Amino acid sequence: MPAGDYSASRYSALDQITPSNAKNLHAAWTFSTGVLRGHEGQPLVIDNTMYVVTPYPNVAYALDLKTEGQPLRWKVRPENAQAAVGTACCDVVNRGAAYADGRIFYNLLDGHTIAVDGVTGKVLWRTTMGNLGKGETMTMAPLVVKGKVIVGSSGGEMGVRGWIAALDAATGKQLWRSYNVGPDADVKAGARFHPFYGGRDASRNQGASTWPGTTYMQGGGTVWGWLTYDPELNLVYHGTSNPGPWNGKQRPGDNKWSASIIARDADTGEMIWAYQPTPHDVWDYDAVNENILVDLPIGGRTRKALVHFDRNGFAYTMDRATGEVILAKPFVPMNWSTGVDLHTGRPQLNPEKTPFLGKKVSFICPSLEGGKNQQPAAFSPATGLFYVPTNNLCMDFEAREVSYIPGTPYIGANAPEVGGPGGYRGEFIAWDATVGRKVWGIKEPYPVWGGALATKGNVVFYGTLDGWFKVVDARSGALLWKFKVGSGVVGNPVTYIGPDGKQYVAIYAGIGGDMGLLIAGDVAANLPYDVRERGTTLPDLSRWTSWGGMLFVFSL
Amino acid sequence: MRMSLVVCALLFGTVVEGCASDSRAESAKQRPAQSAQDLAGRFVSHAEHIQPGGVAPFRGLQLVNPHDGDAKALATGAKLFVAYNCVDCHGADGSGAMGPSLADGRWHFGGTAAEVFESIYQGRPEGMPAWGSLISDDQIWMLVSYVRSLEAGKDVTSENFGGKTVERSGH
Repeated sequence: MPAGDYSASRYSALDQITPSNAKNLHAAWTFSTGVLRGHEGQPLVIDNTMYVVTPYPNVAYALDLKTEGQPLRWKVRPENAQAAVGTACCDVVNRGAAYADGRIFYNLLDGHTIAVDGVTGKVLWRTTMGNLGKGETMTMAPLVVKGKVIVGSSGGEMGVRGWIAALDAATGKQLWRSYNVGPDADVKAGARFHPFYGGRDASRNQGASTWPGTTYMQGGGTVWGWLTYDPELNLVYHGTSNPGPWNGKQRPGDNKWSASIIARDADTGEMIWAYQPTPHDVWDYDAVNENILVDLPIGGRTRKALVHFDRNGFAYTMDRATGEVILAKPFVPMNWSTGVDLHTGRPQLNPEKTPFLGKKVSFICPSLEGGKNQQPAAFSPATGLFYVPTNNLCMDFEAREVSYIPGTPYIGANAPEVGGPGGYRGEFIAWDATVGRKVWGIKEPYPVWGGALATKGNVVFYGTLDGWFKVVDARSGALLWKFKVGSGVVGNPVTYIGPDGKQYVAIYAGIGGDMGLLIAGDVAANLPYDVRERGTTLPDLSRWTSWGGMLFVFSL
Repeated sequence: MRMSLVVCALLFGTVVEGCASDSRAESAKQRPAQSAQDLAGRFVSHAEHIQPGGVAPFRGLQLVNPHDGDAKALATGAKLFVAYNCVDCHGADGSGAMGPSLADGRWHFGGTAAEVFESIYQGRPEGMPAWGSLISDDQIWMLVSYVRSLEAGKDVTSENFGGKTVERSGH
């Protein structure tokens, strides 16, 4: 599974690497993916084979870990429309593959899902899921649940209508598909839909009634983040992206179920509950970040919790059976809201930091990149803490009217970003979700755009935009070891036992993604061999990294 | 032309010239006559393309921007750049975002007026839409005027990290 388990804990029970020996880590071997774009996601390791999926053109490699030199078992170069490169909003990333029953499943940027035989590399099926001409792309990592490959769309900046779908793992045939915005039938909100807030009657057709006319048809609400699954409840959890366009005046209303957390029946796709952290999102906050499923001791009893670090800067500890918000606390500096009303579930807005057409609002925190973005957090049952890579950026926001022209962006705002308060632009934090409190933090000069990995050895791994791969003590946050990899890290560490019985840790080095690309300004020339002018937010980042596409593997 | 009018009608409070007149037909009249014997005349010439055998340079379609040097047309082009959502791909002032920068003087498909017209008119493979099917030639020429105005002095050849801030220089 892309995140290690269905709960997306990104926790491993391996314990060879510990705070006392981490200083002995060294590079064991490396592999060039041949692609110089943002390497979000992570490799998979199954039965001494490592599976790597690159950014566009989404080449897949199977590396034989049993043979010295890690030769390829196979390589897949799928058909993948070139136009997808300029249709994807935020670099041409891919967040990884899923494995089940001898097959690898992953999405192509141009809107296809494919299944590959894990042994032979043969493409077993290929299903068209998205319409590239309308701006739909696919970047997320699928999740396989009971023979169903669950996938979702990207393109929230292109006026698309976001969806999530399940495919038959054996055949690639679509079993169900649900939009996230629009009438109840389209979003699969039926008799079993019981949102915790608002009541059942009030909830009818909210996916359409909270939009003017049929503007939900361009309303976004895509599913480009991580999926999780609770086998006991048989629920799949996903976030949805920002509403389109960013200019809120063109879509008065709550704009449900964009910027929402949604629980769906895994078999049917039916919506069971939904919660919207940012109603009428006019900050491009999304709610697409991962929903980590853990049982936590809260208020003297064990709660079946869902923990979600939202772009809007609040960390939500929720009841994953009902959608109740147990607590919501800021995990980064913020000023757009003063808190979340737990009776209504709604954020209390700061009117001075709420953008509307005709007014340029300055220094809203967090910025549209969010307190955290796609970089997934980890949870360690050994410490009871979440390890969260965060951003500390703020923005000015100026909305403008925008026309919907299919195949072009549907944004309608300018939102330049600057560093947040405190003189640092990212922080790697440990978070106690039972009370909503930061336990420790490591300030970083740049947003921490790579994910976290926690292990039973009580160490935590993460990488940075300026190209450091770090190991810290899970209890204290003390830095134990670091290594300068070949490019900025926007991917997620994984760990595995090699054929020699040793614990290995693997990480991609390849700057890109929304942060590396748009903010670092790498596309200013769009050619990796150019010297290029950087964006204004991270003007000094180019001193520390250039483009890359490498896998680094470490061991003791 | 009908499609152009539809798009023009979508624009919010933007002064859009070239919407009202059938400028595509006018531009078509300016194009040279084409014959099977003169294939070269059907294609834009690109200065950076190799001429095999060292023969005389490829002489392509002679396209002239009817608005060259017209500040008003350039200003309209700037509005069109926002109205047609170019700005959200190529960034504010064409500084680069989803799509490449138009302001760094480094052109993937050439920076002459004819080459930029061709890029907008017929699109490019990595996601640049083929606008010739939707908007008038006249509007494309105004966009050409605006886009070509962005690059002046913006190329950066060197970045020096020796000081407290990054010093950039070029040309």
